[in-house]
Amino acid sequence: MNALADDITLREDQMRLGLWMFLATVTMLFAAFTSAYIVRRSGSDWRHVALPPILWLNTLVLGASSVTLEIASRAGLERRWRAAGGGFAAALVLGFGFLAGQIGAWRQMVAEGVYLPSSPHSSFFYMMTGAHALHVVAALAVLLWSAAATWSAGRDVRAWDAQVGLCRTFWHYLGGVWVFLFALVSLY
Amino acid sequence: MSTHVLGGPPRSPHNVGPAPVEHEPGFIRRYVFSTDHKIIGIQYILTGLVMAIAGAALATLIRLQLGWPEHHWLWLSRLLPVGMPSGVMTPEFYLAVVTMHGTIMVFFFVSFVLVSGFGNYLVPLQVGARDMAFPFLNMLSYWIALLSAVTMLASFLVEGGAAAAGWTAYPPLSAVAAAVPGSQMGQTVWLLSMALFIASFTMSGLNIVATVFSVRAPGLSMMRLPLTVWSYFIASILGLLAFPPLTAAAVMLLLDRHFGTSFFLPSGLIIANKVLPNTGGSPLLWQHLFWFLGHPEVYVLILPALGIACDILPAFTRKPVFGYRISVWCLVAVGCLSMIVWGHHMFVSGMSPFSGEYFSLVTLTITVPMTIFGVNMLASLWGAKLQLTTAMLFSLGVIALFGSGGLGGLFLGNATADMQLHDTYFVVGHFHMMIGGVTLLATFGAIYFWFPKMFGRMMNETLGKLHFWFTFAPFFLIFFMQHFLGLQGAPRRYYAFTAFDYLQKTRGQNLVISIAAMVLISGQFLFLVNFVWSLFRGHRAAANPWHATTLEWTVASPPPHGNFDAVPVVQRWAYEYGVQTIDGDFAVQTVPSVSA
Repeated sequence: MNALADDITLREDQMRLGLWMFLATVTMLFAAFTSAYIVRRSGSDWRHVALPPILWLNTLVLGASSVTLEIASRAGLERRWRAAGGGFAAALVLGFGFLAGQIGAWRQMVAEGVYLPSSPHSSFFYMMTGAHALHVVAALAVLLWSAAATWSAGRDVRAWDAQVGLCRTFWHYLGGVWVFLFALVSLY
Repeated sequence: MSTHVLGGPPRSPHNVGPAPVEHEPGFIRRYVFSTDHKIIGIQYILTGLVMAIAGAALATLIRLQLGWPEHHWLWLSRLLPVGMPSGVMTPEFYLAVVTMHGTIMVFFFVSFVLVSGFGNYLVPLQVGARDMAFPFLNMLSYWIALLSAVTMLASFLVEGGAAAAGWTAYPPLSAVAAAVPGSQMGQTVWLLSMALFIASFTMSGLNIVATVFSVRAPGLSMMRLPLTVWSYFIASILGLLAFPPLTAAAVMLLLDRHFGTSFFLPSGLIIANKVLPNTGGSPLLWQHLFWFLGHPEVYVLILPALGIACDILPAFTRKPVFGYRISVWCLVAVGCLSMIVWGHHMFVSGMSPFSGEYFSLVTLTITVPMTIFGVNMLASLWGAKLQLTTAMLFSLGVIALFGSGGLGGLFLGNATADMQLHDTYFVVGHFHMMIGGVTLLATFGAIYFWFPKMFGRMMNETLGKLHFWFTFAPFFLIFFMQHFLGLQGAPRRYYAFTAFDYLQKTRGQNLVISIAAMVLISGQFLFLVNFVWSLFRGHRAAANPWHATTLEWTVASPPPHGNFDAVPVVQRWAYEYGVQTIDGDFAVQTVPSVSA
């Protein structure tokens, strides 16, 4: 392996390590929200609010975007760039769809008179889904960055794969966080 | 796909190879918006020193008030017409001053100078890297940190003045604007500034961990790293894991303050003769979240101080540090244990006795690795002919304060004793000796030791030694005496003790403490003069003026952009003293061993 290739490998390793450390901090953030939720849940004024059914659809949309991202990634590795580009486009549309769906859910709740301070449950719901949505916005930027690399000409498959690897990790991670949060606010 | 294993064997020479040929950057890119870890480190250090002056000014106000509680400081009334209208401080302003003193010293002085400043400067040099793993992120980290510092200082200027709920920002005081003037916009600005600080500190910590993991020079295995690097490594991991819960808590507090939620505000709270509409919130929830950060944070600050002292000691004992491997494992053990001891700050919060027992037990457990580390530092002095340079004096001061302050920790870690001592000056004395004194002395030790490397000039030793004695002696006196104030029942955060009969006899002690504080603060002018004078007029420094062994001493003083002309290949551990080489009684880490 020549020096240049070694440097590229090092950079990829560093980026991967950096991403995982960042995800560790995000995990700690949501762990703190969760622990606060569990503590506050024991308060005598806790009242569960009805969550809008659109959240189920949003969950499916986010799951589908993860699947399309995987399909795009595999297509790219097999150098089927049209399919990869299409997969990324679909993942992006679904990702933005999730975000729009979340905004829709908040609007529905507001329309029903359930606001941020209405109950501890609604406070946690708005806060945690809001924090998650902010991370999704950041992840969409990363997704867009990888999609642009897929759509552009003259790709280096190895570098592309490393970049997409970061994007996949971030995106699937946030999918996992969403499933956890949704289960928490629905079931507990 | 990658074939590298992070944290595994050090990189091959290719990865840390000669600096690529780059065109010379202009002044702005080189010294202002620089991505060079050395410049960023110096930027952090200088910013932190400016913040220290602000923190010291606030300490002066505190001591003027406590030493002379009824004196009218007319010249101060002109300077601070709101806080000291007749020359005597108002209680509300005292709370704001105490809050900002703690906040600035913990987050904007020690964290800036010792952790981010020296961490940035030393880690890449000591691991033999050209720069941090993510140089741009590093630059971003500094500028966000600067923004957070400016924001924090600006909070004095907003309506109601600066935050006044203590550096721990306990609700309800911090959550209700009507509670105290500082709980108006000042507290909001405090939270925003902290959010910026946490973002910046996270970037910095992430960089340090990635750098230690991924760009160590060939031959530099983890067990050859200097203890300074180990301490930054552990402290950075702690910071990464402990700060996010404070972010979560800050978000919740902001929502409580401005959007009517009740995360921390309980039912039936009456403030300014009004019953608040909040229901069911738990102020204790904030305490748990805050101290989940707060306790690891003290180790984030103190571990680098200990690591630095361990690297300075052998240069002036001319023998290796004692028990290197055990010290490393102690750092790891302390790092792990520090995440599970936070409840010892809350023994009086009404927690279950079983929880109290648990937190006592783990707190006393953490003293074991800390004590071993301290004993290793002491043992490193055994049989050595000490060279009492300024840096060495400060390192010896670190050991002295670590031992004395640590002893107080044994009392506070025990729930039964803490019930009596909680929120008294015993606590103030203890933590000032530990995260105040140990870190302050280590910071000065580090500056005197690495100043020649940073600026290519030596600091004046006579002024330095004077500075040491004008720092160490009053510092020790102040905070040793505060332990006894605490034992007499003097509560912390009170702006005057004049109204309490049982504390009348402590007025003399407070006066002595205040006079010592003025001596301490005056002594710092010796440092400032020395620092500025040496920058321009100090003797030129050689590459390795202390005959030390770690990698930063193998390059010129100051090191060039890119640090190393050729890849350093590490042959030895970091403390090869007491051996004969052509250089003298030491071998830098790149000198091949005889058997090799």
